[in-house]
Amino acid sequence: MAENNRGRAPLPVGEHCCRGPGGAGSLAPREGDGTMRNITGKQAVYRGTGASGGKVCGTLRFFRRPAAGRGSAPARTVSPAVELSRLRQAMAAAREQIAALHRRALSDIGRQEAEIFEIHAMLLEDEDFGETVAGGIAAGKSAEDAIEAAVQVYTRMLRELDDPYLSARAADIRDIADRLLRILSGEAQEDDASESGSFILVAEDLSPSQTVLLDKSRILGFVTFGGSSNSHTSILARAMGIPALVGVGQVSGEADGQTALLDADAGVLTVCPGQDELEAFRREQARENDAARRLEQSRRALIGRPSVTAGGHRMLIYANIGEGAEVARALADGADGVGLLRSEFLYLSLSDYPGEEVLFDAYRQIVSGMQGKKVVIRTLDIGADKQIPYFDLPREENPALGFRAVRLCLAREPVFKTQLRAILRASAFGNAAVMIPMIVSADEVRRCRRLFDECKAELICQGVDFDARMEFGIMVETPAAAVMSDEISAEVDFFSVGTNDLAQYTLAADRQNPLLTDLCARNTEPVLRLIDQAARAIHGRGGWIGICGEMAADPRLTQRFADMGIDELSVSVPHLLAVREQVLRCR
Amino acid sequence: MKQFTYRIGDENGMHARPAGKLATYAKRFVSEVSVSANGKQADGKRLLSLMSLGAAKGTALEFTITGEDEEQACRTLLRFCEENLNGGE
Repeated sequence: MAENNRGRAPLPVGEHCCRGPGGAGSLAPREGDGTMRNITGKQAVYRGTGASGGKVCGTLRFFRRPAAGRGSAPARTVSPAVELSRLRQAMAAAREQIAALHRRALSDIGRQEAEIFEIHAMLLEDEDFGETVAGGIAAGKSAEDAIEAAVQVYTRMLRELDDPYLSARAADIRDIADRLLRILSGEAQEDDASESGSFILVAEDLSPSQTVLLDKSRILGFVTFGGSSNSHTSILARAMGIPALVGVGQVSGEADGQTALLDADAGVLTVCPGQDELEAFRREQARENDAARRLEQSRRALIGRPSVTAGGHRMLIYANIGEGAEVARALADGADGVGLLRSEFLYLSLSDYPGEEVLFDAYRQIVSGMQGKKVVIRTLDIGADKQIPYFDLPREENPALGFRAVRLCLAREPVFKTQLRAILRASAFGNAAVMIPMIVSADEVRRCRRLFDECKAELICQGVDFDARMEFGIMVETPAAAVMSDEISAEVDFFSVGTNDLAQYTLAADRQNPLLTDLCARNTEPVLRLIDQAARAIHGRGGWIGICGEMAADPRLTQRFADMGIDELSVSVPHLLAVREQVLRCR
Repeated sequence: MKQFTYRIGDENGMHARPAGKLATYAKRFVSEVSVSANGKQADGKRLLSLMSLGAAKGTALEFTITGEDEEQACRTLLRFCEENLNGGE
């Protein structure tokens, strides 16, 4: 990782506070200083609001927003026509960048964090903002100056609103403007904010783009001067499960590079803590450090190692993938299989229904690419929220509760059967399984099975090969499916729990609503009980059950899943090794 | 011209997300959609404009819809409010 090149070089970053003495620029407390006194630097205590719980000890690293060429536009003659065309080009480039960030946030962090980029895309296209900028250009300003002026207008407008959440959106306007300014100045993407080592990130607040680009594996916690529990940093910290303290006010620049204890549960940041406080933390940190180092060192060794708990329960670690390109990455990180192949990708990328051959070809490549490991192919899960023009779906007020997934498939049998035939044919090339989403009743399952059997019969008549023992399962993502799991389990080989939808339907809480993040995070128990119920039902029939939603990657739940006898955890590729490690740690 | 008034029941008021959604819905119609609240007027098809209303819980949003598809737009937007801004059941 490149060394910091932004001028004020922070001190070399210690791994954690327990770094040994004597290292160059060691941040560890000097031995021999008074026990109750602070050690290096000036002790300072800051209080704020814990926006995401937890305790951590580490080096403080101040985040510096890249200059973004703000105000540095060279003096030159300005032609409104030229400036307008520069603006248009910058907007087009920004649109693409935001779309890319959206995708990255979706795959790395989750829907809630990703959603902000949908708002960014809308803000970028906003006519008021666009007209203000264009007006500035018409009045003789450069594109840069016109953008900056428009930012001032709208951030002031938002800040003046007596609403902390809306005021916080001023940061989004700033973020979009910085993006445009960077593009205009010829810079590429913003820099990754991190350098090397792990650290507690200290910032005024972070924009969504900055948070997505951060190397999150190295951030131990967040401290922000301002911000609220609605700010992006807070939402991100909760998504990452690391502590965040917000609203601490200005932290002295002297703290940059110093050791600190962050206790978000108590709402306290202690810069240069005392010896006894450190001791307690050190012991805790040492344990975690060991685990982290073990994970790092045994990364390769971990791959292919059966993920068995101390109690002897085996949990397979599968990958969730959305396209063929991810197969290689999944295998490289030791996936035992694919627990969720989102089959929508082919449908979304075409302008008309994909034919059986196109689907077969894509599935075959993935199934054979996984080299005999299981690939669970989820049948089409689209609806009014994932519009595909040629499906010509009626617009719905409430797509999450609407005409989607299996409901749609059962109403459009030819489309469904085309996909089922393609999946069956691909099964001849490896170990495939089929899984039906959004089931609420055993009757739906029976109807699907009937179509599935029809497809098999057709293929047999045509002399086309397929795996006759291919497993047939359903997603448990409605409370109804969990409650009826005793009946439904008689019809299937396996269950796979889609925890995102199951949580949203159980808690009656829109998972895309950032204001409900806390509510969802605090109320996992009802969801877990439904999963337990489904697990008992399917195990009673000799079937297996996996988890393929975000909960599968939550290390705090792994033990609970092991206790329930969950057979498989399917997570996005970046989580594969961490989850495997977590399973090995289970009792 | 169609008009209706909707009092926001949602604890969080009309934030970026519902405002964005509202603008998206409003843009589907050719009719002009104007939303007034707190003595300010906003273009219902523009996100920043809607956000500038700073409409918190309890604010009465006055919708004025004018154009050839105003009937349908009015129905849709009222439905939108009930589903996205009522906050309760």
